[in-house]
Amino acid sequence: MKGLKYQLKSIYRDKFCLMTFLLPILVAVTLNFTGSIDLSPQGEFHFGILENDLSPQVLSWLKQYGSVEHFETMEELTAAINEPSTVVIGVKADGQSIRTIISGDELDIFRQAASNFPILYEQREAVRRTEIQVMKQPDVLAGFQDMFIAITLIVAMFMGCTFNAMNMISEKEDGVAFVNEILPMTPSQYIVQKIAVGFLCGCLSSVITACICYRLSWQSAGGMLALIVLSSFVAALFGLFIGRFSNGLMAGVGYIKIVMLLFIAVPIACALIDVSGPPALLCYLVPSRPALEGIMALSSGNAGTALKDVGILTIHCAAWFVLYIWISARKRRQV
Amino acid sequence: MKGFYSLLKKDIRLMAAGKFFVMSLIFLILYTLYVNFGYVRFMNMQIYSVYLYDPAGTQKTVSPLIHSVSSRKELDAALLRDTSSVGMDASTGEVKIVLYDATEQTNLHRADYALSLLRSSASRSPEIIGTNTPEQKARKEITCELLFFELTAVGFLGIAAVLFKEKGMGVIRVHAILPVQKKLFLLSKLVVFLLSDLCFAVLLTLLNTGFSDGVVLLPAVLLQTAVLSLIMALAGLLCALLLKGFRQFTLAYLVIAVFAATPVFLSANTPVKFDWINLHPFYHIYMGLKNAYFETTVSPAYYISSACAIALLFFVVQLAFHREMEKEG
Repeated sequence: MKGLKYQLKSIYRDKFCLMTFLLPILVAVTLNFTGSIDLSPQGEFHFGILENDLSPQVLSWLKQYGSVEHFETMEELTAAINEPSTVVIGVKADGQSIRTIISGDELDIFRQAASNFPILYEQREAVRRTEIQVMKQPDVLAGFQDMFIAITLIVAMFMGCTFNAMNMISEKEDGVAFVNEILPMTPSQYIVQKIAVGFLCGCLSSVITACICYRLSWQSAGGMLALIVLSSFVAALFGLFIGRFSNGLMAGVGYIKIVMLLFIAVPIACALIDVSGPPALLCYLVPSRPALEGIMALSSGNAGTALKDVGILTIHCAAWFVLYIWISARKRRQV
Repeated sequence: MKGFYSLLKKDIRLMAAGKFFVMSLIFLILYTLYVNFGYVRFMNMQIYSVYLYDPAGTQKTVSPLIHSVSSRKELDAALLRDTSSVGMDASTGEVKIVLYDATEQTNLHRADYALSLLRSSASRSPEIIGTNTPEQKARKEITCELLFFELTAVGFLGIAAVLFKEKGMGVIRVHAILPVQKKLFLLSKLVVFLLSDLCFAVLLTLLNTGFSDGVVLLPAVLLQTAVLSLIMALAGLLCALLLKGFRQFTLAYLVIAVFAATPVFLSANTPVKFDWINLHPFYHIYMGLKNAYFETTVSPAYYISSACAIALLFFVVQLAFHREMEKEG
């Protein structure tokens, strides 16, 4: 307990480190107060037309399908169509009909739609009398806003990893690691102390972030707390692994980079594209995947999935912890 | 000149000892694998699938793009599996459209698109005015992103790691009494990082955009790489001189990497535009790099301002360096 007090005292001295734990909270506050970010899904159409080229009828017909932007000259229109970060479909009058212009590097959906628009225009009278039944989207990720918040929360949880790793590496570099070995402290005390610092700070930072971003019922709040505690624990453990295996600052940074990339990229990729079968199961090997899934499930009120994710995270905690203990016990025996 | 040469040799050795080159190589391999086996395959989005339930066979001219289903149940299941698809139910004699809600404009387009497939008409290919194929575009885009990420990461972190090590070993103190120009100490580091970044850029570009495409892009890409590399290396030096330990530095750095780079990527790659993004200096640098990959011209104002930024940063770093030397005695 006394050792832990010293560890916390050293963090308290380190103002910079405190700030890093506060940053996810700051981002959460900003996200909360800026309101929704308009992340209009891809698949919406943006048309570019020349000034005074299309008749008002064609213009209002186009506006049913997407936004229309006017350009003065053909050069401007060409530049807009070729601009790689947006998908603008150029539309020009062509006798009685219309003609579309694209850059050729668009996703298939836009190329196919562009070749279909002149046909739609010619058939515009015929298609109007059809009944359309629109059903409500099932279990949809409520916009990207949720995802942003969830990622912030994950970053907060996994700050403990970075912190622990850097802490251990700098102790190694400064020679404190040798001093630790002769201190009257058992290896288990050492592990507990090291995990505790990153774990507590990660937890605290995530709990505050979650409180700012989510309004949850008591039941869901319990689930969220379980997710936060378990993920922060796994993250702190990962920090220990990195700290143990890297023998220099550069190598440590490299490992952290790889772990952070995996932790952030895998769950986002899984949420954006539907992965199924063995690859999906493989994704669960990255602990942030069940964490993100659980958070998203809780925010949409799906308790079953969240419970499953808590279970997976518990297995992660146990497995990594046992592995770490085993590795350090073996190392000691070798010494 | 001899002094500069030995400084250069020392920096290269220091970086090699810190596994700097090995790390870069590992990341180069990782990125290349990701681009060639992962990313290019992800970037494939077809137009909506259309399902038709027509037990009586009332629709005569059905496009091959339509998938026929044999029951209403199967239709509902297909729609639920892919919520952007469109269902057509012709069991009552008249065609009825069934779809899951998206935006109003997309709903209408999906419905009209599905109906147009029931009527035969020749597809009209759109006029193509660009030079890239979808795959080329995807490759250029991801290469540009990875290069930006790696330059900001490696240049910034690497130079700081080297400098912190030297600080710890007391090299700065020794340097204060050495008979070489003080500027050379900083210049040799910049040169080493610039060269390694340029090599990295060449390899990454050639391996991921294809050799023939890549060679054409290289001059412009290398120019932008040099600008970015110098800025990041100088910023890294400045942070290393001002901050206390490497641990503080990396924590700060991780935060910068995650929270500062995300809006830039969002604004540059997706239709999401933030109003304030023009004030973000990294946005302009990123767009410079992206323009180099897509062969669009960059305004001279950008070059002038980046040259000014580099000069200013160098000046500030020199000041910080002198301060550090004085502090060390």
